[in-house]
Amino acid sequence: MPHALLLKYPGTNCDVETARALNAAGFSTQVQPIATATPAHVAKAQLVVFSGGFSYGDYVMSGRLAQLETERFLGDALQKHHANGGFLFGICNGFQILTKLGILPKASLIWNKSERFECMWDKLVKVAPNCPYTTYLPENFELPSAHAEGRLVCEPGDAQKYLDSGCVALQYADNHNGSELRIAGLMDPTGRAMGLMPHPERFLKPRHHYDPDWSGDPDWGWGYYFFKGAYDALK
Amino acid sequence: MATYRTIPVRNLSEAELTELSQNMKLSLSTEDMLVVQQIFCEIDRDPTDVELEVIAQTWSEHCKHRIFAATVQHTVDGQTEEIKSMYKTFIQRPTKEIMAQKPGFVLSCFVDNAGFIKLDDNLSVCLKAETHNHPSAIEPYAGANTGLGGVIRDILGAGKGAKPIANLDVFCFGAPDTPQEMVEGHNIIHPLGIMRGVVHGVRDYGNRMGIPTTSGAIQFDPTYIYNPLVFCGTAGVIPQEDIAKEMKPGLAVVVIGGRTGKDGLHGATFSSAAMGEASAEEDQQAVQIGNPIEEKKTLDVILEARERGLIEFVTDCGAGGFSSAAGEMLSETGGNLYLERAPLKETNMLSWQIFLSESQERMVLAVKPENLDELQKLADTFQTEMTVLGESNDSGVLRVWHNGECVVEMDNSKLHDAPTKHLTSVFNKGEARTGLALDDSNLTGDLKQLFGDFAIVSREPIIREYDHEVQGNTVLKPLAGASADAPQDASVIDIDGSDKLMSLALAILPEWGKTDPFAMGTGTVDETVRQLVLAGTNPDKIALLDNFCMGNPEEPTELGRIVECAKGIREAALAYGSPYVSGKDSFYNYFETEEGPVNIPVTFLCSGFGVVEDASHVRGASLRRSNSAIFMVGNTEDEMGASVYARVKGISGAKVPQTDCAKNYELYKAYYEKALTQGLVLSAHDLSEGGLAVAAAEMAFSGIGGMQIDLDALPTTGGWQNNAVPCFSESTGRFLVEVDEDMAAEFQAAMAGFPCARIGSATTDGQLTITAKGSTVLQAEIAELKSIWKNGLTPFY
Repeated sequence: MPHALLLKYPGTNCDVETARALNAAGFSTQVQPIATATPAHVAKAQLVVFSGGFSYGDYVMSGRLAQLETERFLGDALQKHHANGGFLFGICNGFQILTKLGILPKASLIWNKSERFECMWDKLVKVAPNCPYTTYLPENFELPSAHAEGRLVCEPGDAQKYLDSGCVALQYADNHNGSELRIAGLMDPTGRAMGLMPHPERFLKPRHHYDPDWSGDPDWGWGYYFFKGAYDALK
Repeated sequence: MATYRTIPVRNLSEAELTELSQNMKLSLSTEDMLVVQQIFCEIDRDPTDVELEVIAQTWSEHCKHRIFAATVQHTVDGQTEEIKSMYKTFIQRPTKEIMAQKPGFVLSCFVDNAGFIKLDDNLSVCLKAETHNHPSAIEPYAGANTGLGGVIRDILGAGKGAKPIANLDVFCFGAPDTPQEMVEGHNIIHPLGIMRGVVHGVRDYGNRMGIPTTSGAIQFDPTYIYNPLVFCGTAGVIPQEDIAKEMKPGLAVVVIGGRTGKDGLHGATFSSAAMGEASAEEDQQAVQIGNPIEEKKTLDVILEARERGLIEFVTDCGAGGFSSAAGEMLSETGGNLYLERAPLKETNMLSWQIFLSESQERMVLAVKPENLDELQKLADTFQTEMTVLGESNDSGVLRVWHNGECVVEMDNSKLHDAPTKHLTSVFNKGEARTGLALDDSNLTGDLKQLFGDFAIVSREPIIREYDHEVQGNTVLKPLAGASADAPQDASVIDIDGSDKLMSLALAILPEWGKTDPFAMGTGTVDETVRQLVLAGTNPDKIALLDNFCMGNPEEPTELGRIVECAKGIREAALAYGSPYVSGKDSFYNYFETEEGPVNIPVTFLCSGFGVVEDASHVRGASLRRSNSAIFMVGNTEDEMGASVYARVKGISGAKVPQTDCAKNYELYKAYYEKALTQGLVLSAHDLSEGGLAVAAAEMAFSGIGGMQIDLDALPTTGGWQNNAVPCFSESTGRFLVEVDEDMAAEFQAAMAGFPCARIGSATTDGQLTITAKGSTVLQAEIAELKSIWKNGLTPFY
């Protein structure tokens, strides 16, 4: 059974529902606070997950302190895990952390265009065809979002390069936060590492959709299929 | 340097005692000070300053609720009755009666931080709501921030540590477009600044804690300019076996979380007094500074420690700080605390400052000594500070030490209760006119005016700043419908580990209490219960919270209103079988200006929570089809008093809606058992502010269809002389139900014997059309109404 390690920082607050989603897809899941995490924890896992929340309050640029603490406690264990074929998945604050760790293509997540926290559902478009996390998802689907710093920006020209090289996993149809080229989710060229701002773990069951007549799938919400896709790629 | 002093009180005169109370800012009356003097004469020594501070905090209105415990001579239209404790008479007694009728539903109330009800065979849910009014008036961001932080800690300290699963936030402000010249007085923050600061404060604490904010409300009234109200509530879940907790001798007393500082001194006594123009400066130190990440770490430690069975007792450090926590934990068994062990934010703190500081993010636990190592490991794992402050023993005496000297020595059995207050109240029934000559020539224009009023406009810009989906359990969301932005009556959340769900709803109708506070009491409870039932809650599994705010209770006419309101909520609780499992009150919400005091209206917030037996029972408030049947349940009467229509049109003296709670209970029960749980209902929306025309349009804001309604079909007992009445009256006990056309006859049959009639249909034309006697009396584009409603707050927020 593929094993998932979920790293928890002071201020991480989506660990319970993310573990719930991982378990639903079949993973055995360990939630590990960063202060007691070791490279041995990473070595046991096929998938390392960074869930949503406010690591260290996001009082400094989001994800930055989590990156420094991860490096302090784990050294280059995550980079090794990635190089050896391991998967990494970052959601919302976890996307911000993964970006800072340098495992995803270089980008930054800054304050939304509206300069405020926004909790709303996003319409999304699947872009990269070979992303294991989105294998089971349709071309167009929805997920809930809730963030203040979700506007993806890159160095000039990079966003287009990522799109051309197949590193853009998801785009917004609506782009409420003002991201460059509407990028909602990025992956590394292998597809094993992925980060996205919306929250798949919050749309596990059909009844978690805002519309009581939602009929996209009889059994699961769209969010479930991200975890199922990773599971099937690893099993 | 001495960190405490002895205060001679035994030989002081009355005048000197009063002066001492004022100088030390104890907020104790002369009568109270005389009892203090008597206590220390009996013990035959003088108190320390720490002991006086402890008594002042313990007896403060904030902690003891002495107004609600007072003996009140209440006079209504010349007839006087004596009420011995409003709390016991109107809240505790009906709750006990209901508990006796429904054994096993309320699992704990009156004794802990929050009241618990049974969810299923294993789990229990609880709810608590508090106010943080005075701090929010002076420093809106920090005041609201710590208001929410505080009530979350109440839940963490409920039982052996409940898990917070939802927040609710209710605010009362002056209107955001209040002209600056209306805001008199030095250092008064404009309502717009209050609103922005408070919303940001709640946002930054709730979002960082990872607790969804699923319910809320905002009231706007000019009387709240000087005294804004900020209610924060948190719901929690806990295994039933972890509700009971008991202190025993020989336990280590441990503080976890933030450090202790000089922030938040005198908070309990400060919030028990009126605000004056000097308040801003001198009371700033009573407002604390919030650090939600510290509290999140503390939450992580407590929930993990509870699951591992490490906690014997836990309580929060709220008003009164260590003093109130120690009082709760050690006053029965006795024990020792050592102040020099407390981790401090700053040096040079006096004994009373350490003991009374209300610094945030601290929880106090009692733990078996053999479990201390494991708890310390948890604290290290989650990177928070933990300190053993002292221990419990079997002496019955609480001793507090500071650097080897005893600064508090209190024997609970020798401490007297605070003296009972004696108050007088007066209430004279106001006008209740019907048949008013209203202009109903432009009902369409009237409806547009109502949709643009602050009482009704969408709260969407604020709701979106709160994370209402974190924890991944929010089923019925504050904004929903096919377009994800239509209003909702209640919220419903999944509970991990249970097939049942929990619902949350609230109501607040301060305008009603200005003329008919009894009707405000019954109407507010009715609206709360009704919203819960429509969302899918079992009407026999609902519990309520009562939160009161008012101005100066020493003004008999002000107090009279709250007595009448309390009578109303007693009647309603008994009729619905819904007990008050927790509550809180806040007095002295008035402001001294040069023209005299400005009191807030008597304000009653009713929050309710209940059990949804099955996810298939959950129903939203938005139209789902464009060809369905629309039913009205409940009677519409000529009750225009306190309505939004009356406020907008400047009508006074009209009859406020009267609620027959016993009849409504039968109606809701029949609806739940024969229609809702039988699958006959597509959606349902309660009629409240704005009445039928507003509710019908709101249902259609899902964008699925329009609605056509015929006023002639509305159930009524008294009828009306004017079409403005059926369109905008806010009669209680009513709701609109959307039913599939194929099931319309079955629904009608299920509701036989109750006021229920088919009044129209959903349509495909995108219009709200209301007819009477064969002609159209109101017609508007749903899209236009929605645009007015949706954009009402955006210019200000």
